[in-house]
Amino acid sequence: MWLFALPALLINVCIILIPALLTLTMAFFAWDGVGVPAWAGFANFQRMFGDAVFWLALTNNFIWTAIFLTVPICIALVMAAALLMSPRSRAVVQPIIFLPRILAVAVSGRIFQGMIFSPATGLVAWLNERGFSIADPLADPDRSLYAVAAVDIWHWWGFLAVVFLAAMRQISIDQIEAARLDGAGFFALLRHVLVPGIRPTLTLMLILTVIWSFQVFEFIFIVTQGGPAYGSEVLATLAYRHAFFEGDVGQAAAAAGVMSLFGLCATAAYLWLQIRDSANPT
Amino acid sequence: MPWSRRQVVAVIPAATLAAALPRGPAIAQDGRKVVTFWFAQANSEGQAALRNDLVEAFNASQDKYRLQLEVKGAAVNNLLKVALVAGNGPDIVQTSGPAYLTAIAKAGQVLPLDEFADKFKWKERFLPALLNTGVYDGKLYALPRDYESMHLFYNKEVFKQNGWKLPTGRAEFEQVADAALAKGIIPFGAGNADWKGVNEWLMTVFFNNVAGPENVRKALSGDMPWTAAPFAEAVELSKAWYRKGYFGKNYFSLTNEQSFLQVVNGKAAMAFNGTWSFGTKSYGMSNPDTVMDVVGIPGLSPAVTSPLAHLACGATLSIAKTSQNAEGAAAVFEFMLSSSFYQNINRDWPGKWALPVKDLSPELLRGIGYPLFEKTITGLHEAFSKGQFGFTTWTFWPNATNSYMTEGIEQVWLNRLSTDDYLNHIQTVFSQEFKEGKVPPLPPRTA
Repeated sequence: MWLFALPALLINVCIILIPALLTLTMAFFAWDGVGVPAWAGFANFQRMFGDAVFWLALTNNFIWTAIFLTVPICIALVMAAALLMSPRSRAVVQPIIFLPRILAVAVSGRIFQGMIFSPATGLVAWLNERGFSIADPLADPDRSLYAVAAVDIWHWWGFLAVVFLAAMRQISIDQIEAARLDGAGFFALLRHVLVPGIRPTLTLMLILTVIWSFQVFEFIFIVTQGGPAYGSEVLATLAYRHAFFEGDVGQAAAAAGVMSLFGLCATAAYLWLQIRDSANPT
Repeated sequence: MPWSRRQVVAVIPAATLAAALPRGPAIAQDGRKVVTFWFAQANSEGQAALRNDLVEAFNASQDKYRLQLEVKGAAVNNLLKVALVAGNGPDIVQTSGPAYLTAIAKAGQVLPLDEFADKFKWKERFLPALLNTGVYDGKLYALPRDYESMHLFYNKEVFKQNGWKLPTGRAEFEQVADAALAKGIIPFGAGNADWKGVNEWLMTVFFNNVAGPENVRKALSGDMPWTAAPFAEAVELSKAWYRKGYFGKNYFSLTNEQSFLQVVNGKAAMAFNGTWSFGTKSYGMSNPDTVMDVVGIPGLSPAVTSPLAHLACGATLSIAKTSQNAEGAAAVFEFMLSSSFYQNINRDWPGKWALPVKDLSPELLRGIGYPLFEKTITGLHEAFSKGQFGFTTWTFWPNATNSYMTEGIEQVWLNRLSTDDYLNHIQTVFSQEFKEGKVPPLPPRTA
């Protein structure tokens, strides 16, 4: 049995575990990326915890997580339920809502930056020319994180909807019909039948959302580079700047360690839920 | 025929041994030794210029080496570090300037060039102020690829139509800027949506033209804290101008190109921008009937009484320690000192490869056909030769200090951080980097 798992385990150890441990180790060294690393103890963590930008980035990661645990999940659940109820529209609607997911992140980012938010070339410019006074949200440190989140939600929710729809289609049709006969409306059906029916899938997606939210990088780096004034800075962009702009790999590794910590917590929660469900099958 | 287990077992150690053996230079199909070179960013025009004026011209100029150039994009510095540490870098190591070179040179990842410099007399052929930025512990590790500075670009027609005189000091700048705002014209076209480095371009101007280049040099030498009054005045002025709307309402939304085009189109009056702007054809500055003109940036405080050039080296060129073809790489460097290369690359991609040669004869500029660029290069050459310059952040600030200076200034402009806190943080970061020897070599300047 273990022999079957050996190739996969070896690959994981070589390309995931060892680099991850090396990265974690670098958090205890001062290293510019090319010279000889020097032991630094907890100095990188001390500097990180004393840096106001780190706390801003961490807060932004929590805000991002909260947004992604609610907004796209809710939109996707409603859309999946609607598609379940109207099978004829699935063939047309599913590809449309899935389309943003197959666009490259850089393309999606540039579309929103240049064609939607830009006060020179975007929808915002068009609205301003017609008398609406709308500012570019990407240029406002209080709103830039939410604006980038909107771009990522546009890119993400269709995928979630398709996943939820696939899970909902596994629910017994009898259960759904029975609820309808009992007079359940759309939202009652969603709340009392469909959501409980896809609980394992929903739980997995929620936990993956937490992990991904602490790793978020591409959209923010492409659209705002973490700005303005660190308004959309997150741990990944902070780590990237430490490593590649400041030549401080130790600081970058410390920030990456914090990112991984939250990912590990989410993974542990998932494993705990799995074990609990295995122990108490319903 | 399928391989037997014995063959497979024999091949593994053989392959491992082969990988560990010293490598010779790669040989091209025509028998020439290959020289590899990773270039950073280049637009389509730039790539064509590199292909025609460098790669094909070099390969045609001799029969021993074949240059292979790859355009790697903005991430080249990151790729380069990883590749050098792994011993798989290109022969020619191009960094984004002395601030990036420092760590690589100190780690011994590039070869000292002194032997080649003696052989080809490079030390007599490059401007000392630029060449010295590649000297560490008395050894030359890099040649400067270009020189750059910040300049005041302005729209002549806008100035003429409004009867404005070109500012020669802070008060006049503010007079023109206020008059422009009153007429709905943006005083300075500026935008950092695609490149945060625009912040440091502006701060280079404010630090040098307000605090004065001598104070900047003192601070970079560790003889004056960044918290001193002249720097506070510089940051305060940058904030005041930002808050007054001198850089327009859309600084964080517009790209650098969009903002510069505002000046060309008359929607903005001026721009603080760099020598690299000459290379963007959409600005039309090479046309004889261009509305644009360019001058040195005047002093913005009583401490700076005349226009100032800001010494910058946008890229350095070295040879990797692990290069198997150092002679070939040196031959490429020697080729770029030829007058034909200088003329061709500056004609096809102006401002990107303005090699800081010591003797900038009029013949060298002949054939470029770009009066504004030629005027500017000649002016820079004169200022840098005489030691009359300020210090650009991207060349002389160590990396972490520069990164914070660039990012943190947005907090000051947006009223989220006080000038004192900003400068205190700069001082803290700089002190650490200064202690670690991360400040690039500072060339001497004359008053």
